[in-house]
Amino acid sequence: MATTTRKKSPRRQQLEAAALYPLDWLEERSGLVGAVKYFLFRKVPRDIGWYHTLGSATLTAFLVQAITGVILAFYYKPDPDSAYESIQHITNDLTLGWLVRGMHRWGASVFIILMFFHMARVFLFGAYKYPRELNWIVGVLLLALGMLEGFTGYLLPWDQTAYWATVVGININGTAPFLGPFIAQFLQGGNAIGENTLSTFYSLHMLVVPGAIIGLIILHLHLVIRLGVTSNPWTRNAAVDAAPAPAGKPANGREGLVRPGRRGGSNGD
Amino acid sequence: MATRPSRRIVERREAHKRYKEDVERRGKAFFPHAMFHDTVMSLVVVGVIVTLAVIWYYDADGTEAGVLGPHFTEEADPGTTDFIPRPDWYFFFLFYLLRIFKWPESVILGTVGIPTLLLILLIALPFLDLRRERRLLRRPVAIVTVIVVVVSMGVLTYKGATAEEALGSQLAEAVPVWAERQGFEGNEVAVQGGTLYAETGCAQCHVYLGVGSANLGAPELTAIGEGDRGVEYFRDYVANPADFGNPVMPAFGEEFGGSLDDEQLTAIATFLDASKGPEDE
Repeated sequence: MATTTRKKSPRRQQLEAAALYPLDWLEERSGLVGAVKYFLFRKVPRDIGWYHTLGSATLTAFLVQAITGVILAFYYKPDPDSAYESIQHITNDLTLGWLVRGMHRWGASVFIILMFFHMARVFLFGAYKYPRELNWIVGVLLLALGMLEGFTGYLLPWDQTAYWATVVGININGTAPFLGPFIAQFLQGGNAIGENTLSTFYSLHMLVVPGAIIGLIILHLHLVIRLGVTSNPWTRNAAVDAAPAPAGKPANGREGLVRPGRRGGSNGD
Repeated sequence: MATRPSRRIVERREAHKRYKEDVERRGKAFFPHAMFHDTVMSLVVVGVIVTLAVIWYYDADGTEAGVLGPHFTEEADPGTTDFIPRPDWYFFFLFYLLRIFKWPESVILGTVGIPTLLLILLIALPFLDLRRERRLLRRPVAIVTVIVVVVSMGVLTYKGATAEEALGSQLAEAVPVWAERQGFEGNEVAVQGGTLYAETGCAQCHVYLGVGSANLGAPELTAIGEGDRGVEYFRDYVANPADFGNPVMPAFGEEFGGSLDDEQLTAIATFLDASKGPEDE
């Protein structure tokens, strides 16, 4: 750095301005550069570590599902006469088709396990408490939609396992009071399982539900960034967090991550 | 003038404000510190997924299963009856829940009631637990809840994974024994119906002479013919249970999207009508 602290030559300044011009252009018109900078350089509690990676790990699993899903959709045919054949074609003939299908298939399990782990972490850390209640609810909706992805995706290979599991699944939905028969009929795309069932499930699986999931993930992340990451509950920072408000005494910089305020005593109510 | 917010609300607002100030003052930047952990973890996730895919692909061969299952099973065939429905593993706990509620009146608890209740409880959680305490050792209810949920989901998943169901073809071998115990050996149509009963997958939900799995609240059929409701009644019922106010059982009649023609329906109905309960009891 020592050498570059000297005044930059006009030539260098010009070059830098030219290189940054697209970013400035974008920033002036959208504020996106500032948003990304804020996202990257925002402060998070000093003590967070591996426990806090489960959320981004879940997001990664979802992205794997999205990318492999799009590739599978290039070759998959959602119609009972050719669905099974197209799955065989993808698995046996296409270059690395087996890998894409295998990743999609096993990514589903990983995605669902990670959602449960992430939820367990948030629960154990008490991270659903004020002011993060809404984000917890969004997370629960994401879990339900993720399970729905699992249910609708299971039928698509159109093999025996897929077909009969779906028959049972639709019958289970059919037992719901009042709405049951309508839900069953909607899922089947008619009075019985057939070609409309497959296209209904395909449409739910790759348009409706993923669309909802993506929207909710954006909201989920927005709330994480806005409200901040919760610190570990066993750390000093959490103790400060839970301590009663010091009556009339403003935070003086002595309480916090490094130097705790009063510990123990009354915490919350 | 607005009403004063309660002490609890004031306290938690101030606590969050202190948290924000504290993080601002002493926190670390997300990039590169936290992002490093996130990146490593994400790479691990992708690595695990690829590993599973590779093991799955190379250990199985088409419909022949490896350690992680087959590439696919036979093509879907609504007409077959020799197939045991299995959801993906993460639905096993729900799947097994259906076996706990056996009676027709309570089956709805297992299919819709409990899952809906769990979802509502999950959504309501932040409003049920309003304390600010986050340290686990001071949240005994939360600890007990976690243990109960993890153990019960684990047990249900395990039970669902290991639950055994008889295959239709194996079941069919028992039909002559059934005929003898029920005293309809002479009735050829009833015996034929018994074989159809075994092969059409009825035993996946119904119990007959101690065989079969009680699923979805289906009644035991050992002595279903006792009331002398007649062959025609059973035929119409099996053809389309919805006509009899039963939305759970699928329609088996051809004209209702099922796989059985009139002759087969009559055979099954004769078999059910002839099942008056075993003579040896």
